[in-house]
Amino acid sequence: MSKTILGISAFYHDSAAAVVRDGEIVAAAQEERFSRKKHDPRFPRHAVNYCLEEAFVEPSELDAIVFYDNPVLTLDRVVKSCLTAGSGALDQFETAARSLLGVKVWIQDYVRQTVGSLGKEGRLLFTEHHMSHAASAFYPSPFHEAAILVADGVGEWATTTLGAGRENQVELFQEIDYPHSLGLLYSAFTSFCGFKVNSGEYKLMGLAPYGQPHYADKILEHLIDVRPDGSYRLDMRYFGYLDSHKMTNERFHELFGGPPREAESNITRREMDLAASVQVVLEEVMLKMARHLRERTGLSQLVLAGGVALNCVMNGKLLREKIFDELWIQPAAGDAGGSLGAALMAHYHYFGGQRKYNPTGRDSQHGSYFGPAYSVHETKALLDRKGYPYEHVPDPEQRAAKIAAELAAGKIVGFCSGRMEFGPRSLGARSIIGDPRRVDMQQVMNLKIKYRESFRPFAPAVLLEDVAEYFDLHCESPYMLLVDQVQPQRQRAMDWAKFRSGDDNMLEVISQPRSDIPAVTHVDYSARVQTVHPDDNPEFARVLRKFKELTGCSVLVNTSFNVRGEPIVCTPQDAYLCFMRTEIDLLVLDECLLHKSAQPAMEDSQDWRKEYELD
Amino acid sequence: MRQIFQYHPVVGYTFVPEVRARIPHETGGYLVRANRAGFRADRDFVPQRTPGLRRVLLFGDSFTAGDGVSNGQRYADRLEQEVDRLEVYNFGLPGSGTDQQYLAYREFAQGIEHDVLIIAVLVENIRRIVSAYREYLNDQGEPVLYAKPYYLLEGNELVLKNNPPAKDPIPKAEFDRDAGEQVDQGGRFLGLRKLVIAAGLKGIAQKITRYQPVPEYNSPDDPAWQLMRAILVRWIGSHPRPVVVMPIPLYHFVEQTSNPDAYRERFRELARDTGCTLHDPLADLLAYSAEERRAFRFEKDIHPTPAYHAALAKSLAVTVRRLLPETTP
Repeated sequence: MSKTILGISAFYHDSAAAVVRDGEIVAAAQEERFSRKKHDPRFPRHAVNYCLEEAFVEPSELDAIVFYDNPVLTLDRVVKSCLTAGSGALDQFETAARSLLGVKVWIQDYVRQTVGSLGKEGRLLFTEHHMSHAASAFYPSPFHEAAILVADGVGEWATTTLGAGRENQVELFQEIDYPHSLGLLYSAFTSFCGFKVNSGEYKLMGLAPYGQPHYADKILEHLIDVRPDGSYRLDMRYFGYLDSHKMTNERFHELFGGPPREAESNITRREMDLAASVQVVLEEVMLKMARHLRERTGLSQLVLAGGVALNCVMNGKLLREKIFDELWIQPAAGDAGGSLGAALMAHYHYFGGQRKYNPTGRDSQHGSYFGPAYSVHETKALLDRKGYPYEHVPDPEQRAAKIAAELAAGKIVGFCSGRMEFGPRSLGARSIIGDPRRVDMQQVMNLKIKYRESFRPFAPAVLLEDVAEYFDLHCESPYMLLVDQVQPQRQRAMDWAKFRSGDDNMLEVISQPRSDIPAVTHVDYSARVQTVHPDDNPEFARVLRKFKELTGCSVLVNTSFNVRGEPIVCTPQDAYLCFMRTEIDLLVLDECLLHKSAQPAMEDSQDWRKEYELD
Repeated sequence: MRQIFQYHPVVGYTFVPEVRARIPHETGGYLVRANRAGFRADRDFVPQRTPGLRRVLLFGDSFTAGDGVSNGQRYADRLEQEVDRLEVYNFGLPGSGTDQQYLAYREFAQGIEHDVLIIAVLVENIRRIVSAYREYLNDQGEPVLYAKPYYLLEGNELVLKNNPPAKDPIPKAEFDRDAGEQVDQGGRFLGLRKLVIAAGLKGIAQKITRYQPVPEYNSPDDPAWQLMRAILVRWIGSHPRPVVVMPIPLYHFVEQTSNPDAYRERFRELARDTGCTLHDPLADLLAYSAEERRAFRFEKDIHPTPAYHAALAKSLAVTVRRLLPETTP
C-alpha cells in the first residue's frame, strides 16, 4: 500500500509543508525559508512546491492532503471566548474573524487553487492541532509505545494535552483548554520583558541564568494555580490576550513592579529575575504533569511536542529527573511540525499504515534534514554566472581538513551543506560554526556576525562518541533540545560579586571564561548540546573529526546561519548574501569553498539591516 | 526558486545537469528533470542505440522542452507512447532560437546514433534568430539583457556572432539601442500589448485587427526569413539522415485569429528546396473544436497544455512512423 501524503500547517505562525510516503518522511520545510519572512504564517506555497519537488510527485497523484488543524473548532473557540470576554474583545474578534472567515474556512478551495489539485481523495482532510503535534512527536520517535505530552500557546481549544502512542495509534485522553495555557503564560513574560511573542521565548530562556527566581512564588500565588497532577488554571484577571491584543494588563504590570520593558532598551535585573522565575514555574508544572502521565500510562518513554517543548532547559530538567527512562522531542515542535504530524496522522490513522521504524533503532527523523539540497552543478552554475571566486574541493576528507584548519585558525565559517534542517535549529546544514575554545568567540559571533544581543549563548555541536567528555549528558541530543552541564573538570570559577551587587551589565559575566570551551558554556555552566552522528550528517561529522585531529577538541560552536531577524538561509544565494553582509571568513557551499578575501565587493544598495524586522 | 539554467559558452545556456525542480505555474506547478547533459529529459543521452528501440533526435524551444507541463506530458514523451519501439532524445531549450538549437545540435548531438532528426520551429522563433539579446528579470526583478549567440547572413555565408556570449547581463537601461543589435522581447508592439492586456482586450483586439504575430514570413525576401531559411538549409544539408521540419503554430493560428498562409508557404518552399520532410500539424490541430483548441493553451500562459501536447504527438506520430525503419540495426 503505497501512500504519498502532503501535510500543511498555515495561518497562525511558522507555516510549513511536509510529504510522507509510506510512513517515511520525504520532505519538510518551513515557508519562512523560501519567502524570507521570519515565522511566515501565510499559506506555504513555496514549501508545498518544494515538498512536491522533492517527492517528485504531481498533486493529483497525492493520496491525501491534510491540514493540521480544524478551522471550524478554532472559530468556535474565538466566538465563545469573545462572547465570554464581552465588549472588550470586539477588536480581537474582528481580527480573528477576518483571518478565519477570509481564508481558513475556505481552505479547501484555497489549497485546490494554489497546489493545483486536492489529490486522489478529492477533498482536504483535517486533523486537530494537538493531534498533529502528538503524531509529529510519536511516529518519528524510536519508541513502540510512549506517553505523549503536548504543550503550546493554543490550537483550536487545547493548550496542553496528554496522551499515549502505541505502534500505529495515538490517543489523547486529557487536555487543558484555552485560555489556560502554559505557552501563553511564558509568552506573557516574553512580551513583558520586551521580546517578541512567538519568537523571543528563546531569548527569555537564555536570559534566565543571569537572574534569580525571586518572582516564582508570586507567579504561583497570583497567576497560576497548579495542582499536584500538573493541571493548572491561570487567573485571567492578569492577562490581556482574552480581550485585547496585549498579552498582559495593568494588574500584571503592578504585580511585577511597573510597565513592561520597552523593546531594545536596556535589560535590567527585573527582566533577568522574571525570566528565571517563569522558567522555574514552567519546569515545576511540566515535571508534575510528567509524573502524572507516567503514573497514568505506566509507560517508560515520553515524547514531547508543541512550542513549549522547544524549551530545552526544561527538557534537560525532565531528563535529569528520570521520571521517564527515555525522552524524544520533535525538533520542529512548534506549528511547523504540525504539517508533518498531519501527514503522519493520515498515514497511520486514516490509511491504517503499519508503523515504520528506523532499523538501526534510532529515530526516523534522521537528523531532521528534510529541506532542499543544492547539487554541485547548481552551486557552480550560480557561482560561475555571478563570477564569485571559489575553490572546488570534491574530495570530502580534503574538504573537511581545509575547513577544520580555518576553524582552528580562529576563522568563522558559514556552512551550507546538504539538505536544510526542518525545525528552528541549525544542525550543521545551514550553520555558522567556530572554535569554542576562544574566549572572544561568543562576543564576536553575537556582535559581528549575528548582530544580536550579546547575552545570548551559543550551542555546541559535539561528536556523539565524545559527548560525555564535555557534557554531563548520557544520551543522544541530535536536535539541540537538551540542556545539560559542562563537565565540572572543564568549568572555570566565575566572579559574580560585581554583577550581583547591583550592576546590571551582563558583559561583566559574559566576558569571563567559564570553561575551556567558553563560547558554548552559558553563565550557569549549562550548554544546549547537539550530538552529531555520522549517519545523520556525515559532512558535518567529518569537519568535527578533522577539527579534533588538529586541536584535540571535538566541539564546535554551532549557530544558525542568519543575522538577527532573518530566517535561516536556504539557498546558496541566501548563504552568499549573509556571508558578504557579515564578518564570516569562509563560506562552504557543499563542495565549493569561498574565501571572503577573494570575493568582489558586493553592491548592496539596500540598507539590509532594515530588511529584516528585529525579532 | 531553484536555478535551473547554467551558462554555456556555445549555446548560451543549458539546463543545470541533473536538476530536479518544480516550477510554480498557474496550474500549481510542473515537474522538471534534466539529464547529465543538461537537457530536460528523464534519461541520459548515450551515443549507442538502445537495443530494440528506434531513436529520434528532437530540437526546439520551450514548446518542445515543455514549459508549463511535467516531463511525461510533453509531446516528445507522448510520441514514445504513440509510436512503438521509439525513444525520443529531447534537446528542447526554452527561450532559444533556431540558431541556438542548431548550435546545440552541433555541440551535443554529434555521434548519437539515431534514425530521424526533428527540428521543431515555433514560428515565433524567427524573431529570436535576429536578436542578439534576450530580456530576463534579475533577482531584484529588474530587466536585464543576456547575450545570445546568433548568426548574421553576410552574402550567402552564415557568420556566428556573440560566440561565446558574454556571461554577465547588461542592465536594460544601459543597453545601447543604436549599436544595431536587437533584443527579443517575446512579441510585437510591446507597449501597446501591455495596455491591451491590462484592459483585458487582448483577444478582441487581435481579432478585430486580424493581428499577424509573425509578419516576417510574409515575403520570401524578408531578411529574417532569409536568415531562418539559411540556418535550416545548412542544418538539413549537413545531416545525413531523414530530417523532419515541424513549424509549431502560435495559438493565434490554432484559434484562427490570424492567417497562417504566409508561414506555411515559407516552410513548404523550404521543404521543396531541401528535400526534408515537412510536418505541418496545423490541419490536424484545426480538426479539434474551438473549445478544445482554446484549451490547448493555459488561461494566462500561452505554452501548450497537456491536451495540446497530446494532439501534437498524435499528429506527428503519423510522419514519424512513416520515416522510421521497421527494424533497428
